[in-house]
Amino acid sequence: MTEHQIPEVKADFSPEEVGKWGMVIDQDLCTGCQACVAACAMENNVSFVGEEDAGYGRGMHWVRIERFWEGEYPKISTSFQPVMCQQCGHAPCEPVCPVFATMHSEAEHLNMQVYNRCIGTRYCANNCPYQARTFNWYDYERPDPLNNQLNPEVTVRRRGIMEKCTFCIQRIRRAEDAAAAEGREVMDGEADPACAQACPADAIIFGRLDDPESRVSKQVRSGRGVKLLEELGTLPQVTYLKGGAGYDRNG
Amino acid sequence: MGAKIVNFLKQPMVRAVLAIAVLALVGGAAWGAYQTQRLPQQPIEFRHNLHIGLGVQCLYCHPGAWQGQSAGLPTQSKCWGCHQQIDRQTPELDKLAQYVEDGVSIPWVPVALMPDFVYFSHRPHIAAGVNCETCHGDLSKMTVAEPQKGMDMGWCLKCHKELAPEKETKLIDCATCHQ
Repeated sequence: MTEHQIPEVKADFSPEEVGKWGMVIDQDLCTGCQACVAACAMENNVSFVGEEDAGYGRGMHWVRIERFWEGEYPKISTSFQPVMCQQCGHAPCEPVCPVFATMHSEAEHLNMQVYNRCIGTRYCANNCPYQARTFNWYDYERPDPLNNQLNPEVTVRRRGIMEKCTFCIQRIRRAEDAAAAEGREVMDGEADPACAQACPADAIIFGRLDDPESRVSKQVRSGRGVKLLEELGTLPQVTYLKGGAGYDRNG
Repeated sequence: MGAKIVNFLKQPMVRAVLAIAVLALVGGAAWGAYQTQRLPQQPIEFRHNLHIGLGVQCLYCHPGAWQGQSAGLPTQSKCWGCHQQIDRQTPELDKLAQYVEDGVSIPWVPVALMPDFVYFSHRPHIAAGVNCETCHGDLSKMTVAEPQKGMDMGWCLKCHKELAPEKETKLIDCATCHQ
């Protein structure tokens, strides 16, 4: 064996293992207002593709709101489900990347996209059961003065690059840095991603799953949580809550 | 066919034109290489060696390295804090006085730049006891700051692996530096 070994970057977590960062989305609270979608695009320099490209299915969102109609007319109601990258512990996108551009962060238990490694094969997006990944089909223009609102802490992606929700890794890193400077652990609510910060209904809760006392851990244990497509065994870090007290909105 | 080409190349005019073309290419390449290696023109020929020799600490003028991401480049008022009490011995200090009079920040040109896909913060490095000269070179031997060669990912990882093996999972994780 030579000294150049292929590193073990394809993470494979056991279901019992608790990831570090987790998110809870309360579908009983979500009103589908799209504030998270807008906040995410602003925070992460997500491009606006325009009407024509969106028509070709090339729209770029790191988080999207899915809408479901429930019940029969006239007793009908809607429910909304914001879907972003589920930061799977056993991610289908990871083993298919030929260049290790999508790989697992062992330290943060996040699924990462390394933009400058990505060669745009789009295997990862095709293998993602949540359709959470978006592809830069073109270099989309940001005419002046729109370029002034770019977030300097996030890479501006070029054409031919795959991208997806990062759980606002730049905010996590900032919170970790601040905590390390003060010699303490990251506190609840300190590393909130843009979507959680913007949510007016407080339906998105973010925090540490390895801390049993964090808000997000308590919500995960609340008993009304489901994971999306749990049967696939992807071990998502995002939990959806539904069916709480007073849920029957048709009644 | 081959002989025809050789004969064509033997004509004096053709030789002269070829020689000029080769010279232009080599010259252009050399000029391009020089442009990339040349130090950027700083607004003031600041002498790091003199200030370090006088015992000024790096963190006195670049205090950001102590607290956060960017080390920061000193404003005219920072310089003036000391220099208003010192005789203006060189024309460079007249430039400083002009910036102070106009109330304009000195437009320093940063030389140690990271690509936009890299997150770098000075604070954890200083906290881990890494000295400025480890990355920025021995500034006591420079006037204006010179960019250091070979500040690439392999160079980062070399330190990250060797200096703190117990923290390796965190230190060699992609998420630690890439955004």
